[in-house]
Amino acid sequence: MRIARARPERFGGIVEVESPRALLHVDRQMMRELGYPESPLWQLPPEGPLSAPREVHVVLSRRCAAGCRGCYVDATPDGAALPFEDACRILDELAAMGVFHVALGGGEALELDYLFAVAAHARRVGITPNLTTSGLGLDAKAAEECRVFGQINVSVDGVGAAYAAARGFDGFRHAERALRLLRAVKREVGVNCVVSRSSFPRVPEVARLVHKLRLNELELLRFKPVGRGARLDEELTPAQCRELWPMARRLVWRERIRVKLDCSFAPMVFWHRPSAKAAAFFGVQGCVGGDVLAAVQPEGAFTGCSFTPRPAADARIPGAMAEAWRSGFSEFRDYAAHAPEPCASCEYLRLCNGGCRAVGTPDPGCPRVQEHRSRRPLPVVAG
Amino acid sequence: MKLFRRGRVLQATFGCNPNSSSLGVDVTFLLFGAAFASAVAVVLGAWLRREPR
Repeated sequence: MRIARARPERFGGIVEVESPRALLHVDRQMMRELGYPESPLWQLPPEGPLSAPREVHVVLSRRCAAGCRGCYVDATPDGAALPFEDACRILDELAAMGVFHVALGGGEALELDYLFAVAAHARRVGITPNLTTSGLGLDAKAAEECRVFGQINVSVDGVGAAYAAARGFDGFRHAERALRLLRAVKREVGVNCVVSRSSFPRVPEVARLVHKLRLNELELLRFKPVGRGARLDEELTPAQCRELWPMARRLVWRERIRVKLDCSFAPMVFWHRPSAKAAAFFGVQGCVGGDVLAAVQPEGAFTGCSFTPRPAADARIPGAMAEAWRSGFSEFRDYAAHAPEPCASCEYLRLCNGGCRAVGTPDPGCPRVQEHRSRRPLPVVAG
Repeated sequence: MKLFRRGRVLQATFGCNPNSSSLGVDVTFLLFGAAFASAVAVVLGAWLRREPR
């Protein structure tokens, strides 16, 4: 285990270690034991937002030839892109703020001829670049260049015909080929699978693919009604919301693979009442927009997460991101303090933070919210 | 006499997140519960102290 870098926080600090690759939150005493100097942040109460995001999703473009029917960034073949110079300057600022990881995506980031140059720049300034791609057009040479990334996930929303049904075009063979090419050059290759109402029953087939190709993770992402997805009726049913956590557990045991769920699934996990202590330790959280996570859009908007349209600043203006981080994002950060029922009385509120802002507040996919709403008395209508 | 309290690991997230949404739940680790989390915290703390920056 080697400490790559660290930054102080109110509670102590965040330490990035390599092999195993991990981000560790440690207390003030541990920071002292590791030789870090006293921080002015340690004069503040330990609770409060992070001094900077831990990870930032940089949406490099809204450009993609695939035309997936549920694309959340509404990508088109000639969509907007963040210019190379802007991307590098933004990475410089994020590095100065202390950001550890960036997730590069789009659109299809591989369609940009400067993707690898952006990733190399991230490495130079001390940020680990990660990538999500459809894998379309990836050849052996590009796969070799992908060594620059930390984790690379290929989007596979179904196997065979289920892929075409989910995405609206037949790209499964391309995605599988991309996975094999990437796995031949690096270990940190996984699958992203968007779980929607119609794809839910076929998720186990994707898990089997992850096992078969010896990939390091399966990440299940919740379908969100954003971008072109807003025109689809694909949000999970209440029964599927309850079944998600048991299904994820079964996939771990049956396929012997690592399964992760994105932050928007947290309410559906907490409804099953897992150990709150274990959840806190392993960073199981709901909405972390404007705290752990931030996003930069291709047009320069600095937002709390990729799915929220409200910009806190223009990331292209020098210093604007750091300034916005100090004072903005109250819609994310203040939720727990003013949460309505049924969130207010939920023991997981501090971890869950009301669920995903992209689908509603409080999260309508949360089984607890669904139960609360079903119990509310109907209004009396005068006859 | 003032007792010396050793530093602690408060939270651990493994791997990198390549997604547009943040990593919310690592199912594999959460399955093992609170006792496992405590053990991991102790082991990671010991490892951290051993390693030079």
